[in-house]
Amino acid sequence: MFCPQCGTNNADTAAVCVQCGRALQAAAPPALQQPGVVMPPGTSVQNYLVFAILATVFCCLPAGIPAIVYAAQVNGKLQGGDVAGAQAASKNAKMWCLISVGVFFAGFLVWGLLAMFGILGSLAHH
Amino acid sequence: MLQARGRWLAMIILGAGVVAAFMLRFFDPATSGVFPPCPVRYLTGWYCPGCGSLRAMHQLLHGNLRAAWAMNPLTVTLLPFVMYGLASHALFEIRGRELPRTFLPAVWIRALCAIIVLFGIARNLPLHPLNLLAPGAMLHP
Repeated sequence: MFCPQCGTNNADTAAVCVQCGRALQAAAPPALQQPGVVMPPGTSVQNYLVFAILATVFCCLPAGIPAIVYAAQVNGKLQGGDVAGAQAASKNAKMWCLISVGVFFAGFLVWGLLAMFGILGSLAHH
Repeated sequence: MLQARGRWLAMIILGAGVVAAFMLRFFDPATSGVFPPCPVRYLTGWYCPGCGSLRAMHQLLHGNLRAAWAMNPLTVTLLPFVMYGLASHALFEIRGRELPRTFLPAVWIRALCAIIVLFGIARNLPLHPLNLLAPGAMLHP
């Protein structure tokens, strides 16, 4: 990291500039507002949490539960600095979200067919 | 190419969401057969954590917060966050930018998962304060 005051190259973890003593960490833009959460800089691994909640609570699909578990795993691995592990968990979270989408459309189709047959059946009665 | 696909997908989903909102505004899932029943309830007879969410959103679209809360308090609580997250995802696909967001520690997500599962169990139990969590039970105690 280069000191914004005198331009000296410092270690990335340095708190103050070795040349002029300027505080370096305060000068860097805060990546995260949350204190106590350490995330490797420049990494953002999708956890699909929104879609997992959408599937579980808004579409009544229990397949969203494993997606939520994997979403937690993504963020847990990121907190531990394990980016590869987070990406693996992210893939699983995505898979369970896609399973939910598949089940949703399959269920919708079955329900639509049943409704159609119901209407046809009631027409046949008349 | 991939980005254009994501953008179209986001637009289609947004459009479907608007249509669904209008349908929910005009048809009450409690009385009309327009909406499919909860598959869990249909197959097992148990309430799932999401049971009553369509009825809750119908009530919300009519401004009845109390009735919506009675149908599914979890849906009403989570709705603002989910809407924000969806808006952020859509904005990212369409504009390439996200809304500001905070990193949720894994413990919070696990806690949320536990709340959802426990809520799903609690609303099926025939014990007095817990059975109020069943869809609509709070309206007729």
